[in-house]
Amino acid sequence: MKGGAQEVAKEGVKQDAQQGVGEQDSIETTRFSRVAAMAGTGMRVGVNYLKHYGKRAIGAASGADELQEANASAVYETFSRLKGGPLKLAQMLSIDRNLLPPAYANQFAKAQYSAPPLSYPLVVRTFRREFNREPLQIFDSFSKHAAHGASIGQVHRASKDGAEYAVKVQYPGVADSLRTDIRVLKPIALSVLGLKEHDVADYLREIETRLLEETDYSLELLRSQELSSKSAHLKHVRFVKYYPEWSTSRILSMDWVDGVTLDKYADGNASQLERDQVGQALWDFYEHQVHTLRVFHADPHPGNFLVKDGELWVLDFGCTKELDEVFYRKQFRFLDPTLADNPSRLEAALVSLDILLPEDDPEKKARIVAVCERSIRLLGLPFWGDSFDFGDPNFMRAIYEMGEANAREQQSRDLSGRRGSADSVYVHRAYFGLYSLLSRLRARVRVCLPGWVRGVE
Amino acid sequence: MDTRARIISAFCDSLREHGRPPETVFAFCKQLEITEREFFQEFASFDAVESSYWEQLVDQVVCAVEAGPEWPEFTAKQRLLSFLYAFCEASLDHRSVMLARIAELGPLEKPAFLKGFESRFKAFAKSVLDHGAALGEVAPRGRLSAIYPDALYTHFRGVIDFSLKDDSRGYERTDAFIEKSVAVAFDLIRTQVVDSALDLARFLAPWREGS
Repeated sequence: MKGGAQEVAKEGVKQDAQQGVGEQDSIETTRFSRVAAMAGTGMRVGVNYLKHYGKRAIGAASGADELQEANASAVYETFSRLKGGPLKLAQMLSIDRNLLPPAYANQFAKAQYSAPPLSYPLVVRTFRREFNREPLQIFDSFSKHAAHGASIGQVHRASKDGAEYAVKVQYPGVADSLRTDIRVLKPIALSVLGLKEHDVADYLREIETRLLEETDYSLELLRSQELSSKSAHLKHVRFVKYYPEWSTSRILSMDWVDGVTLDKYADGNASQLERDQVGQALWDFYEHQVHTLRVFHADPHPGNFLVKDGELWVLDFGCTKELDEVFYRKQFRFLDPTLADNPSRLEAALVSLDILLPEDDPEKKARIVAVCERSIRLLGLPFWGDSFDFGDPNFMRAIYEMGEANAREQQSRDLSGRRGSADSVYVHRAYFGLYSLLSRLRARVRVCLPGWVRGVE
Repeated sequence: MDTRARIISAFCDSLREHGRPPETVFAFCKQLEITEREFFQEFASFDAVESSYWEQLVDQVVCAVEAGPEWPEFTAKQRLLSFLYAFCEASLDHRSVMLARIAELGPLEKPAFLKGFESRFKAFAKSVLDHGAALGEVAPRGRLSAIYPDALYTHFRGVIDFSLKDDSRGYERTDAFIEKSVAVAFDLIRTQVVDSALDLARFLAPWREGS
């Protein structure tokens, strides 16, 4: 019965992915600045998101301009207070838009709220509804207070027969409230970003679909089992074991791991050797998912990774994205190191992703191509050598400055319209998160570009 | 099953089936194959039967939650929440009766058959509030505290009302409503907000000395 539901849900994912491709002809979306970052490795530079994760990297390196730092901390504060739907939507949109942070942050601050933790009786009630048993009838011990919050639920610590478990319990009715949040936030987001609903409809639909998927823990269980079994050979990458017998669509049970979250680890005093090992594990994990499995963990938030004894533990598979072959080829051909030097191929690549549109006049076209070229040269950098040092503060700083410049350009010229692909949203998010995490880790990683990218066309 | 329990159960069946009490005691007894004497030895009227049906509902839930292993360490708020969640769970067996008898009423209406239900709940609420006062969760407010059980009863009826109108999966929205509304209720009775507001009202009141 449950298996059937999961199958159906999974089918839904596939269909979405395919639909996304089908709609690529008539796509979609967004402002000029977005295009710039997108053209590169397929990642987007979200100014405020960068500040959020990357502020240490930049700040440490440059002795940071104080105004920047102030903005960054304001944005950071805002993000850390957000929860549930608003948090997710704000994260997504901020990655995907080169917005100026203060206006953005202020507007979202007005719409945000922070849900109080679930009371223990409600946790009991949820257990009774899902299992017909109370927590203590299943586990030997069960914490009355949440060990920590998750964006749409909270995690309790439990034990049974000497083993420790993390049990994630979802807020009741969260799927409904996500829908409401999106409805409420959409007009605010659109007006802050100066977008037309028509231009971003596919975009918002993609985000909403992923968000709603996250509310089904049984789907997460299935994906985590699949992804972890297919990635089991990766060195220094570890996955927690999940327990289907104590899991439903609203409750998810897994092993408790006593690690530190990746951000805390990065800010700690681990040796360079170990940082490189953890960073390499993270890099390999994403390369394997994207280029081999064609499905990836799309939520590279530092809280979703733990480090223990120099190994990387991957948590939370609520948000994964599948890449179909056609889109995969279109998107990742931008990794080709010779592309930026070859105007006609670059143009063809941009046309294939609808970043360049047939109706663009030559002047507009030239400007878009120029910005894309600049972006590719910068954002593709990590992929082109044998190794790349994310500890180099100038790299993140350059990305940050380019994002700012693009945002300014966006404001001064009307280059908006329906450009790019909704499928790219989560690719950008994943790579942007990956760069930020690696910078924060100050890790040096060995890189291996997939063979087809160099030989393409 | 003794006669008393049989009468209550048959009475409920009638409510479920027809949405109203049986026509006459005579017909009811005949169907149940008991004498009128047996009926009236147990109950004075149908209202009395129904009243004890509702009382039992509260009693059973109170017994069940108080028997829970964690009850002694629960705060007042957790106790009230436990009761409301357990009541909603138990009420699934009684939903059609509730729909027939309570759904049409407003939360402030007090029909005769709910008198016992109300007093049982208020007794429970009082015990919870006393526990909260002992823990410092409920600010002592002299005579004003006397209205707390009434306020909680109105809230309880509001919860029932909400759940009867709820069409979400597994009545999740009712859970969320309970969680949020109890949080507000306890925020109010923990602090002096109500006192301060009443104090202001008293100060401004037109019937104050001289006027």
